[in-house]
Amino acid sequence: MSGRERNGSLAMRALAFNKTRALLVVAVAAAGLAVTGSTASAAPVTIDLCASTGQVTMPDGATVDVWGFVQTGSCAPGLVNDGNFPGTPLSVNEGDAVTVNVTNALSTGHTLRFEVPGIAFDPGPTDAASGATVTRTFTASAPGTYQYQSGGDAGRQAAMGLSGALIVRPLTANQAYDTATTAYDVEATLILGAIDPNFNAAPDTFELHGYRAIYWLINGKAYPTPGITAAPGQRVLLRYVNAGFDNTAMLLLGMHQRVLARDARLLGNPFDASAETIPAGGTEDAIATVPATAPPSPNGFPLYNRQMHVTTGNAPTPTTPNPAYTPGGQLTFIHS
Amino acid sequence: MTKKIRRLGLVVALVAGGAALVPLHADALPVGAPKLGMVCTPGTVSGSTHTFNLVANTGSISTPDGNDVLMWSYANGDAPDSGHFQSPGPVLCVTQGETVVVNLTNNLTEPTSILFPGQDAQVTASGGSAGLLTTEAAASGGTVSYSFAAGSPGSYLYESGTDVSKQVEMGLYGALVVRPTTGANFAYNSAATQFDPSREFVLLLAEIDPELHHAVETGGTYDINTLHNRYFTINGRSFPDTVQDNGSSLLPNQPYGALVRIQPNTASNTQPALVRMLNAGMLNHPFHPHGNHTREIAQDGRLLQNPAGTGSASTEHFGETIASGQTLDFLLRWDDVDSWNPVNNPFPVPPPNYRDVFFKDGNTYYSGSPYLGYSGTLPTGTVTQNVCGEWYFPLHSHALNEFTNFDEGFGGMGTLLRVDPPGGCFGVPSSTAIVGGTLKSGSVTALGLDDTTYYQVNPKTTTRPTATTAGQTTITVASAAGFPASGTFYVRIDSEVMAVTGGQGTTTWTVLRGQLGTAAATHAAGAAVSGLATDWYAGFTTVPAGAANLQVTYKGRNCANTTGTGCTAIAGNLPQQTVKICNWTVAGAAGCSGIMSAGWVTLPAPPAQPQAVGSTDVTSTWALPGPASAYVGTGANSGQVRVLVHTQRWTAPSPTPFSTWGNFMKIVYDAP
Repeated sequence: MSGRERNGSLAMRALAFNKTRALLVVAVAAAGLAVTGSTASAAPVTIDLCASTGQVTMPDGATVDVWGFVQTGSCAPGLVNDGNFPGTPLSVNEGDAVTVNVTNALSTGHTLRFEVPGIAFDPGPTDAASGATVTRTFTASAPGTYQYQSGGDAGRQAAMGLSGALIVRPLTANQAYDTATTAYDVEATLILGAIDPNFNAAPDTFELHGYRAIYWLINGKAYPTPGITAAPGQRVLLRYVNAGFDNTAMLLLGMHQRVLARDARLLGNPFDASAETIPAGGTEDAIATVPATAPPSPNGFPLYNRQMHVTTGNAPTPTTPNPAYTPGGQLTFIHS
Repeated sequence: MTKKIRRLGLVVALVAGGAALVPLHADALPVGAPKLGMVCTPGTVSGSTHTFNLVANTGSISTPDGNDVLMWSYANGDAPDSGHFQSPGPVLCVTQGETVVVNLTNNLTEPTSILFPGQDAQVTASGGSAGLLTTEAAASGGTVSYSFAAGSPGSYLYESGTDVSKQVEMGLYGALVVRPTTGANFAYNSAATQFDPSREFVLLLAEIDPELHHAVETGGTYDINTLHNRYFTINGRSFPDTVQDNGSSLLPNQPYGALVRIQPNTASNTQPALVRMLNAGMLNHPFHPHGNHTREIAQDGRLLQNPAGTGSASTEHFGETIASGQTLDFLLRWDDVDSWNPVNNPFPVPPPNYRDVFFKDGNTYYSGSPYLGYSGTLPTGTVTQNVCGEWYFPLHSHALNEFTNFDEGFGGMGTLLRVDPPGGCFGVPSSTAIVGGTLKSGSVTALGLDDTTYYQVNPKTTTRPTATTAGQTTITVASAAGFPASGTFYVRIDSEVMAVTGGQGTTTWTVLRGQLGTAAATHAAGAAVSGLATDWYAGFTTVPAGAANLQVTYKGRNCANTTGTGCTAIAGNLPQQTVKICNWTVAGAAGCSGIMSAGWVTLPAPPAQPQAVGSTDVTSTWALPGPASAYVGTGANSGQVRVLVHTQRWTAPSPTPFSTWGNFMKIVYDAP
């Protein structure tokens, strides 16, 4: 993914998933600001997901075992890599009748339970044993940003990376919700995650009281990343999905972010924040308008974890100026 | 543990000693800075440009458990501070629309910088070199200058933008306050955000992991991911240091106190306090004021409003999370909805006898009375830090580990909310003395309440045993007791007024005859000799040294009768009332013993004195701005205030008697 090259690149990832839908609808989602006035339409949508295993590479060169949801024709272990971790953002339209087929490629004993907090599924089986597939259906009745995840192994599967963003788009294009105040020009989904490699090396046996993340990730990546491309005057929709385990404060410099919704529900009184804390497991939608003035840094307008998790890996030498571990972590920039 | 006790002892000493022990200027505070509340570092204003010179440097802070912790911070580079280390950084107060210039000199051994989160106008940097988040000043003397137009009013942080995971934890942060154009007594450009400018508070929260600071100090290694905070601070201090005054000499590098002090809102005290809460730390802090709710009006320098921007979306809280990097503004009112008092609105059940209660460490902030503004009796040996029955409520992080100093509680991220009695500390008389006149009826308790009971005094009377001729200028009386011992004063025999000009204090007086429009006449043996004035004073006790802004309220009237229980109205030629206060510095207790003693000072207008006071109660309040030290006795008279009421009636051509009826007297003052 390269945010510098493609406006709305994070939304573009929605193209990649394997679903059936009228092509026009997909094009609307992908083109973002270029299309105005179009309306989405409700349709049956089928999404195939595979819970697989794999490895990703951290900026310090470490390789970490992870699990994740991937979209593939044939589900098997070992499919997760830097290019598809964490799970692809799923995008459906308000009113869609959605069918999710989840195949479990984890090893024996790891039963998968597919969940989307805030979404009421139709009655039916919830779990997929190793090697099996479970089908879950729901109607995407309310627009917003959701998190899908596996509830298996008492949360350990989600901690290994089995989570992702589900976006339910309203009937009006380029809006986060069915109100004009949620109109945006550029969309960026920010899945906030963290990794303790010791946990990932032994997900079945690691004692959770010792969990201590050292990798702090946005969309599976620590800084440096391409960032979010938006021109002055453009409204950037920040869809925060906190897939980590800490309440996470994200500070945006040079502009306030108007917090419009939490957990896929519009706020009665939206507010402007500099540092907004997204609870673990929660989602928030905020819109920030890029000012016409120059950013404080050549890199753009910083957006980062105010709890200062802007480091990567073990960080042993605080007395060294500009040590190797920083900058890293949950840091990105909005730039033109 | 011993350190903590010692520190608490010092708190007691400071409370007792008041201003005398606390220098009003300390390093890192402007001259004359208030002891409580927000203190702005002035900077330099030239036209619409407001310039601050900050120095990033190294110093240490003291923690209540006796530790010292190496910190980095921003100091005020301007005189008189001239770079004196302080934690946190100076409070920068600017006005919306000003061009703010912050010149940073970096005395650290690595690059550093300043971010201004929440300032949406462009921050222009000159000098320095481009860093990851903003322009940085080079190590060891490098400089950079930031400039921006102060945007929306509100409370903001400023903090390091360089190697932030270490430098912010090390202490490189401070508060930036942008005042609205509406006025400095408004938080925002909204009438609903008006507050009492004498009650504006900043509570800047942060945490400290001393292991990291030790590693920085010694050049050791430390993994930032293992951050485990042990100290939790408000304005750079941990409880109980947080309740020390601004500029306490005990904490030379931590100039900002965090005691929040308010009074109940009343008809004459309508404005709330403003509490600006800023979280420079990396943890979210669940902040919990005990007692009344506080109203959250803004976040990150933006009013909380309805979507149309036409009304407030403020919310009330008794627990609110101040998130990392966040600022929240609160309007704090105290409404004493029940107005319990022991005299005419007591609790429906008897309160416990506090002498039977055990107080931890024998030390308490409790007054011994559950009623606001009243003190009670505490067990022998218990030391109270209470001044005049004010209430103290914890105002603290509700995270258990954060209310500690290195795991020892209470401590850490806590301070006190002090609620003073309405109008300030108040006192009612505990004694009376008549220095000219005789008691008609009543006692001192009648003066303690604004009710239907009165302390009543008649002019002094005696008799003249022998007959008097019309031309006689020396007369002998049966007793001089109760008449002035010096100075000219008037007496009346039958319908004639005489002026006593000599022999005062003895029974043989030199008099001028036929005064005040009366005619000299003969008087029979045994005639009554009456004074034309009443003089009495009320004594107050336990007024603390360091009290200030003393106010005296007296309510009373005069009646035409000197006997009987009712008040006979005075139709005209009303008695003239003058209320005076004892200035103990003139001649000590002797200066306020008699009517004419030199220590009595007429209370200054308004209202002007003397006042004509007839048979309807007149209530007057006089103010003595500034320190009250001259009016509070010392030594054997420690804590005493005396107020004298002098009433005279020169009635011509046919003098008639009168009596003075005191209904209510109280003093109100700002306690130290």
